[in-house]
Amino acid sequence: MNRLKAIADGQTFESVIHQEVLDRDPVVSIRDFSLFYNRKQALYNITMPVAKGMVTALVGPSGCGKSTLLRSVNRMNDLIESVRIEGDMVLNGESIFAPSVDVIALRKRMGMVFQKPNPFPMSIFENVVYPLRIDGERDKTILMQVCEQSLRGAALWEEVKDRLSESGLSLSGGQQQRLCIARAIASDPEVLLLDEPCSALDPIATGKIEDLIDRLRGEYSILIVTHNMQQASRISDHTAFMYLGRLVEMAETSTIFTRPRLSETEDYVTGRFG
Amino acid sequence: MVWLSGGMFAIACLMIVSLLAFVLWQGLWTLWPRTYSIYGRKDGTLVGGELYAKASLEGQDTLYLRTGNYDVSNQHFAYVSSSELVEQSGWLAPDLWLVERKEWGNLYGFPKQLSWSQADPEDFVRVVHEGMRQTAKIDRELGEAKNELKRIDQHIAEARLGIRRVELAEKIDLQRAAETGSLEGLSPSARDAVSNLGLRNRQADETMVEINDRIAGLEAQRAERTVVFELPILDPLGTITADWADLRAGRLRDPTGLAELLGAAKDSSGLSFSAEPMGDGGLSEPGVEDQRLVCKVTIPGEPTRRLMIRRLEDGRVSVEAFREHSILLADMVRFFPTNRLGIFQRLGVYASRWWEFLSGDPREAGMEGGFFPAIWGTVVMTIVMSLAVMPFGVLAALYMREYAKSGWLLSVIRISINNLAGVPSIVYGVFGLSFFCYIVGGYIDGGPIKAGFEPWPSAAWFSALGGLAIVGLIAFAVSIFSGQAEARRSPLRTVLSWSAGLLWLLTLGLIVWLLVKSPHFHGFYEAQLPNPTFGKGCLLWAALTLSLLTLPVVIVATEEALSAVPNSLREGSYACGAGKWQTIHRIVLPYARPGIITGFILAMARGAGEVAPMMLVGAIPLATELPLDGEFPFLHGSRSFMHLGFQIYSLGFQSQNSEAAKPMVFTATLLLLSIVTVLNQTAIWLRASLRKRFQSSQF
Repeated sequence: MNRLKAIADGQTFESVIHQEVLDRDPVVSIRDFSLFYNRKQALYNITMPVAKGMVTALVGPSGCGKSTLLRSVNRMNDLIESVRIEGDMVLNGESIFAPSVDVIALRKRMGMVFQKPNPFPMSIFENVVYPLRIDGERDKTILMQVCEQSLRGAALWEEVKDRLSESGLSLSGGQQQRLCIARAIASDPEVLLLDEPCSALDPIATGKIEDLIDRLRGEYSILIVTHNMQQASRISDHTAFMYLGRLVEMAETSTIFTRPRLSETEDYVTGRFG
Repeated sequence: MVWLSGGMFAIACLMIVSLLAFVLWQGLWTLWPRTYSIYGRKDGTLVGGELYAKASLEGQDTLYLRTGNYDVSNQHFAYVSSSELVEQSGWLAPDLWLVERKEWGNLYGFPKQLSWSQADPEDFVRVVHEGMRQTAKIDRELGEAKNELKRIDQHIAEARLGIRRVELAEKIDLQRAAETGSLEGLSPSARDAVSNLGLRNRQADETMVEINDRIAGLEAQRAERTVVFELPILDPLGTITADWADLRAGRLRDPTGLAELLGAAKDSSGLSFSAEPMGDGGLSEPGVEDQRLVCKVTIPGEPTRRLMIRRLEDGRVSVEAFREHSILLADMVRFFPTNRLGIFQRLGVYASRWWEFLSGDPREAGMEGGFFPAIWGTVVMTIVMSLAVMPFGVLAALYMREYAKSGWLLSVIRISINNLAGVPSIVYGVFGLSFFCYIVGGYIDGGPIKAGFEPWPSAAWFSALGGLAIVGLIAFAVSIFSGQAEARRSPLRTVLSWSAGLLWLLTLGLIVWLLVKSPHFHGFYEAQLPNPTFGKGCLLWAALTLSLLTLPVVIVATEEALSAVPNSLREGSYACGAGKWQTIHRIVLPYARPGIITGFILAMARGAGEVAPMMLVGAIPLATELPLDGEFPFLHGSRSFMHLGFQIYSLGFQSQNSEAAKPMVFTATLLLLSIVTVLNQTAIWLRASLRKRFQSSQF
């Protein structure tokens, strides 16, 4: 408990990152990253890798900065006027926050799925091929091919193949979220960012999404924020525990849940705190 | 409290419902063909009319009658106190006709004689119908001939304009040349103009004679066919001695002196009379033995006449004739024996009147006939207004909601726009008149001088033009430079973008100032002056004034629709790598479309019903030309037009006989109300159906 109290008091603190995580080839490396809303600091000097082809889960109590960190990876925080950042992130060797970076091109290299399913008010087909549409792709055969591929990838194809022209909003909540995942993988992203994708879904839909994430492992590098410890333990390869804007401990998921180096982590993942 | 609030609610409902019911009732009832009753007055005269209302005036029951026959009686309507009448229910004469005419309103009377046919009165309906078809053909030909005349006039007017243009361009006076046709010492263009006028004048002289002859012939044909009616107005002829019982039985034995009274013939001994009593309902007091009879009297060789025979005390009877009145067949629009119609025939007349109301031209200064030009004018004006207000409103709202940084300036602007919606509409009218009509319109017509500006001397103007070019270049350079300044939110960039904005504003102001001060622009319609083309109220300025008036409605509705777009959709789009504009036009605008369209239609409904500014900027009570027709360039922005709302006002309060126009006012109100209701309903339906498309299924 002492370390968490020290964090709350604002003392500096060294994150514990296990060697097994550092040994992996990273797709995204977060380097000494801090973020401020006006004066208020939300993230403190976070340094962590996101391993290629693996599922990395961000866990921690509400308000610890998981989502802020996730949304910084594809610079969604740029949309908020008052945000200021320090440090940098690197996507496959290229800086994310360098001044010369084209944000739009950067975002096209990543896919993102939000808490609440947010299909666009258009047909299922158009929803999936939206990333291609904005690139000006008009070739029907290519669009159809990508649509089927992405929907199959998101395990939705069998359910919607006969009604691709129906509104994306006509689907159920779980299907909508899988539609959003299909949309996110349509542009073949280098990393997939999932921001609590199951928090608005019922257990059955949640189960399907988890199966899907399990299937996507290896093919895509996934960074997922979750509130649910069981979910993190079920689906992720690596788990990072955050607290009040700081990374506390990061290791392979089994390590975090069975023998974490810090007792605070153990307290949190076993539910004794948070 | 529940009682108080509930009561207020009930009263509010009642007021709205009764307003609607009143307009509906009055509006629907006006065109319904009613029966025409003839009442006997105690002083021996007759009064006839369609019963419009019964009222109590000064303690007496009073009948409100539409009497018609305005050209004879000088009134359309009459109040008749029931104490004047011998009987409260009138005589529904079965063979009385209602004739709707092109002039003078309705005529009510008994058809007596046709100038072109010896048909039996039983056959009159058929014969008159046939005759009307033929005169309609004559009227069409007449219309064509008059159109030809108009075209010739236009040709000559164009030629005169050509001369005026040359005069203005070359600063010479061609008056004498145009009169004499001499081309000596003139420039080629002046020669062309003068000889063109001469040519057209000669052509006109040739064809005009022929057309005028044709018109005269047609007019003569038109005047040939007349119908003589007997109106329910009595002219005393004199008294005769006759047995009342015989008269009652339909016998009239001569000699009684009736022949002399009728002036039939000097030698009346050889003539026979047959008198047929027609009716006394409403003409005699009940209970008392009848004192009055309406008789048809036939004298061989002459048309049957109607006489009113009144019993006097000493065994004598007085004889009065129904006044004869002859009208042109060509003036008849519609006629029917109004008291004899069955319900289906009545419905037929009703439908045909509605059709005329919706599709016909006005007659009698709008008191009769159709409202088509007013409906058309309203619709065209509303559409032009929508085309003007839509891009402005939507783009302004888009900027405010999606691009502008929120701050005190934006709040002030937003509040100002909301307040703009509350400015009385007549203020917009005054602004439209003084700005659009006089300044902008005057500028288009005759350049800066006509718009009331003093132009600069040429040299000063050109040096100012140079200044404008420099300022424009600086503004351009600064905006490029500020776009390249990379650091986000650096003070340098803020300063640069502000100054770029200010410079652009300055450029714009300079452009306007230079336009206004130009010594080289004399307007597009200088030759037509002093007749204004755009420098008066017209369709274009009315539409622009109304678009200013409805701009706040569109902006507010669009802003609300945009703010209702969930942020998650915008984020989703950005996360896919879409740019700002891509997000707006692929996601935000489609989602906000129902709301935008709703606001748009509400603005249209508001604009369609607005009257006050229309009175100042272009609506007129009677327009001969439509603002949108088949004549090039089809949409005539410089024409004045008729407007439904203005028509209601001018009919009800400005016409010579507003009492007579009142029923039409209600019908027009009903029409306006239905147009606005249809627009609003469309908005609601559209919003509902579009919303359904975007509704997210709940889980």
